[in-house]
Amino acid sequence: MSSSEEGAAEDKLLRKTSISDEVVIEFDDVTKTYNLYKNDRGRFLGIFNYNRKGSFLGSVDACKNLSFSVKKGEAVAFLGRNGAGKSTTLKMVTGVAHPTSGTVKVKGRVSALLELTAGFDKQLTGRENIALRGQIMGLTRAQIKELEPGIIEFAELGLYIDQPMRTYSSGMKARLGFAFAVAIEPEILVVDEALSVGDRAFQRKCIERIREIMMDETVTVLFVTHASSTAQEFCSRGIVLDHGQKVFDGSINDATDYYEKNY
Amino acid sequence: MLNTLATIFKDNWEWRKQIGRLAMFELVKKSRGAVLSWAWFFIKPAIYIFCFWFALALGLRVGSPDPSAPPYLLWLCAGIIPWFFMQDMLSTGVDVMHRYPYLVNKIKFPLSGISSIFTLATMIVQLMLMVALFVIYFACGMGFDVYLLQVPVLLALMFMFWDAVSILCSQLSAISKDFANLIHAMGTPFFWLSGVLFSVQDINVGWIQTILDFNPITFFVTAFRNAFYDKTWFWEDTSMCVGFLVVFVATVVVMAVIYRKFNEEVADVL
Repeated sequence: MSSSEEGAAEDKLLRKTSISDEVVIEFDDVTKTYNLYKNDRGRFLGIFNYNRKGSFLGSVDACKNLSFSVKKGEAVAFLGRNGAGKSTTLKMVTGVAHPTSGTVKVKGRVSALLELTAGFDKQLTGRENIALRGQIMGLTRAQIKELEPGIIEFAELGLYIDQPMRTYSSGMKARLGFAFAVAIEPEILVVDEALSVGDRAFQRKCIERIREIMMDETVTVLFVTHASSTAQEFCSRGIVLDHGQKVFDGSINDATDYYEKNY
Repeated sequence: MLNTLATIFKDNWEWRKQIGRLAMFELVKKSRGAVLSWAWFFIKPAIYIFCFWFALALGLRVGSPDPSAPPYLLWLCAGIIPWFFMQDMLSTGVDVMHRYPYLVNKIKFPLSGISSIFTLATMIVQLMLMVALFVIYFACGMGFDVYLLQVPVLLALMFMFWDAVSILCSQLSAISKDFANLIHAMGTPFFWLSGVLFSVQDINVGWIQTILDFNPITFFVTAFRNAFYDKTWFWEDTSMCVGFLVVFVATVVVMAVIYRKFNEEVADVL
């Protein structure tokens, strides 16, 4: 596997240069299959292995025999068309989806920028949501108190921070989601097309912040995008997925070349 | 199966802090937006109790003819307050995944813990109502005695049993809306057929008695009434205890089987 070493070798200032040998994410022959049914009734019967003709439409392998490992401190871009299995892969890294077969091993605290606007409780205020999420991540009260001002400032919510989340615009929710995810000093940061948040000024701020995190050599970053330029800017290694299978794994420039040529 | 059971215990223990805090958030959320906020936890049950007391004690005159007996109101409250807990568990508690979708597929959180959050939150409300029940109890001129020691035991049993029911049913409800609807539809029959408003011992039909021995709602309602009103120990009624034990064990077994089978699938279908 020609991995990050090559990408790191072309030492470009923006990229990380050193990577430890510790493997933090390991996918071993991972397959994730979704069974599709015509309706919920069909799915219910399917649970009991009763797949009646007509109701069971077939199954889709979102990931197929996927094997790779990521070392601590690496920044890996996942490239691929819609439906290539990128998001499913990241979901398995965050632990909310489980592989149908194979094993996924992840070490360290994962912070995910998947669908930023989701995952907040609409009845609670922004401030309470920060506390709530922090607690779920296992932070202590003191740690949350410490992080709170930074998050609120970054999200630029002003007075709205003490209003219930249901009154927020989608941009505000996304900003808060982003601010939280980058504030908790993750060991593994998962970014799924999250950089299209808010207006241009905020986007710049986000990119700055992600760059800062990426420069930190202990943080591992997984990055999903369609835009090759963003990937090249941030990452040192690229993995190209197609129909759930890994078709290319190498330095970021080779990966983006491969991706642009073939897709 | 024992492995699954161990996992459930382990998850709940490891995440106990988060579960505790999330339970508090659940209560904050419930009381949010109302001027009387926390008072509503009492007002709703109070109105409920008043209606039944009015209809039964004044309207139908079902109270004991013996004037020296403790008031009917106490008998009613001792059964209906535990019912409030079970009612919440049967309506919302059996479908908690849809209440906290973000814990299922946005954040890594043990699914059995979600049931514990809701059960704990409901139990905290129940404890507040229990305090009210004790106030009523002493206001009725009853004194403190050893039979009351059953109350904490029963509350703990109630917590464990309904947490297991919630874990079991929530998995099924997440996968099938039919199941959720079925359980919701059962709310009213459970209330009227389980002896919340009448004494099961007074039914003189043998087979009905036998069936009700296996009804956990009947068990809890009767046991609380024994502690507060009738002053007997709940294990004195052996057939009822055996019935409850059978149901408890069966629930836990089915829960472990279902949890192992569906645990990993739920996030995909929700």
